[in-house]
Amino acid sequence: MEIKKSVFLIAFLITAFLLITILFLGNILNSQRKTAVEDKMTIISDLNDVQTYSLLSSVYGEKLACLAFNSKLAAWDQTLWKLGVKLEQYRVATEEFAKDPFYLQQKTTFNENEVLYMAFLTKAKKECNLSQTVISFYYKKAEVCPKCDDQSFVLSDIKRELGDGVSIFSYDDDLNITSISLLQKYYDIKEYPCVVINEKPFCGIRDKSFIESRINI
Amino acid sequence: MNVVYNIFLYFVWFLATYYVVMMLLLIFIGRKALREKVKFDFKKEPFVSVIIPAYNEEGKIRHTINSLKKVKYDNIEFIIVSDGSKDGTGREVRENIKGNPKFIFIDRKENKGKAGSLNDGIAKARGEFIATMDADSVIEPGIFYKTVPYFKDPKVAAVAVSVLVKNPHSFFNKVFELEYVIGLSLMLKVFSFFNGVFVTPGPFSIYRKSVLREIGGFDPNSVTEDMEIAYRIQKHHYKIAMCMEAKVHTILPPTFKKITIQRRRWYSGAILTLVKHKDMLLNKKHGIFGFVVFFNYLLIILGLILFISSLYLGASNAVKDVLHLRYSSFDLISRIKSIEIDFLLLSRATVLGILSLLFTFFVLLTGLVIMRTDITKKKIGIVGYIVMFFLYQYFWFISIIKVIGGKKIKWR
Repeated sequence: MEIKKSVFLIAFLITAFLLITILFLGNILNSQRKTAVEDKMTIISDLNDVQTYSLLSSVYGEKLACLAFNSKLAAWDQTLWKLGVKLEQYRVATEEFAKDPFYLQQKTTFNENEVLYMAFLTKAKKECNLSQTVISFYYKKAEVCPKCDDQSFVLSDIKRELGDGVSIFSYDDDLNITSISLLQKYYDIKEYPCVVINEKPFCGIRDKSFIESRINI
Repeated sequence: MNVVYNIFLYFVWFLATYYVVMMLLLIFIGRKALREKVKFDFKKEPFVSVIIPAYNEEGKIRHTINSLKKVKYDNIEFIIVSDGSKDGTGREVRENIKGNPKFIFIDRKENKGKAGSLNDGIAKARGEFIATMDADSVIEPGIFYKTVPYFKDPKVAAVAVSVLVKNPHSFFNKVFELEYVIGLSLMLKVFSFFNGVFVTPGPFSIYRKSVLREIGGFDPNSVTEDMEIAYRIQKHHYKIAMCMEAKVHTILPPTFKKITIQRRRWYSGAILTLVKHKDMLLNKKHGIFGFVVFFNYLLIILGLILFISSLYLGASNAVKDVLHLRYSSFDLISRIKSIEIDFLLLSRATVLGILSLLFTFFVLLTGLVIMRTDITKKKIGIVGYIVMFFLYQYFWFISIIKVIGGKKIKWR
């Protein structure tokens, strides 16, 4: 049987077509991930209300702060956490060859609003006697801080187990967000990872039992 | 590291897919030629000598002899060469060939290895064509009427046949059985379309004696003499044909350990053969053969590098996860519970992997259908075929190490 040279070319074209199809499928997945993130990020616009509630509570007192928290803000906690997790997972799934600026932008916006929400939550906790534990977690990228990954893993476990009983906010130091830098100065954070549990900073890796014991105090 | 790994992954995927697409395309184009039957139109049956080297084949050799007695070809002789067997092979052969003039028994006390036995047999053979077969293999009665006609073409120096597995019992045997159906039958036929056959399988192949003499017979220093001779046939610009309709049934090593030893010999032998005939690689003088062989081994090496790097990445991630767990009292259960199914978490590389897996099964099923294999009876082998992917890497890895280590590879 005589094999024509064109067969090799046809095979090449078919393979190239398959590769392009996969790249195309990958792009569809990437854009679906972005759409999903954008949809979920609409919660951020709701967080603008936090500023209003904050202002109202400073004018009308703690009763209004508690009303505001119980009526709407408490439900946001779980959503925010899930959004943070998804944002990270989708970023990892998307970035095969280069960092995607979309996720960097979304993460920055997300972190900025987390600070806002955490501030109001801390205030509501004091004024409304909430039993909610507030944890903020300050980290750097894994190449600089390998233990940061370990700490994130422990906190994910804790959130999974305690659910609404604990609010955890993760702050990426590498994003250079002014409000986060301010909080780090306030808590005198110089070492990473660092967790602030109910306003007490604990820097260096902390295991699950340590954090659980601090939550229960 | 990840960027380099991903680029490499896409590159290897492209080459491997190109190879498979090429094979599928050739199967499609040559679908009529796959089952070609060359008419036996000799006025007189050409004389054929069948050489069967045997080493410690007591209990098995009588089945081979019985299958030879049923062969429908009159102008034939069977030369059994005992290669210094230490068991009752000699006695069993004598008992079973008694009174049959077609059988010749060479009971050599010295162990010369398989190639040496074949060469001794060739020296005694009177046939125009020489068939070689393993002592534990069984041929179908009409095999010579199917294979000998290919020699009408004077450029054909050898004819390979479909190598199938006899009575696969264990899980591994059932998986390897399918590999034989695809690799040692269908693919050899496809390779023959462009004169790219790189092995004349040991269980049964038939050669033109004049060519065997011209190229110097089998290489006694090779542990894969069936592959080495195929390279030399190609080097001398002869053709190796493949008759898919003719079948030989062989038995597989019964245990995984023995399969590993066999594969290590095969693959180490393949590497040494390649090194011996490196001048053929990418050499236009030898037609497409040198390019196909080069591409084949390039894929094997790149695949192995990809496999090792994937293993390294996978293992380091697993270690990381275990190290994470030490901070949460090794609470694995809650970790497993938290796993969620979200198709948006699939990266492009994962899609690539899933498609490759589906593609492998597609090729496997296509091959089995073409080979008229009853798929319903091969469920275990089909499902277990995924194991082959890992086993190939393992066998190649240990074989490369053995060759690099310079350890002597024994035929047995």
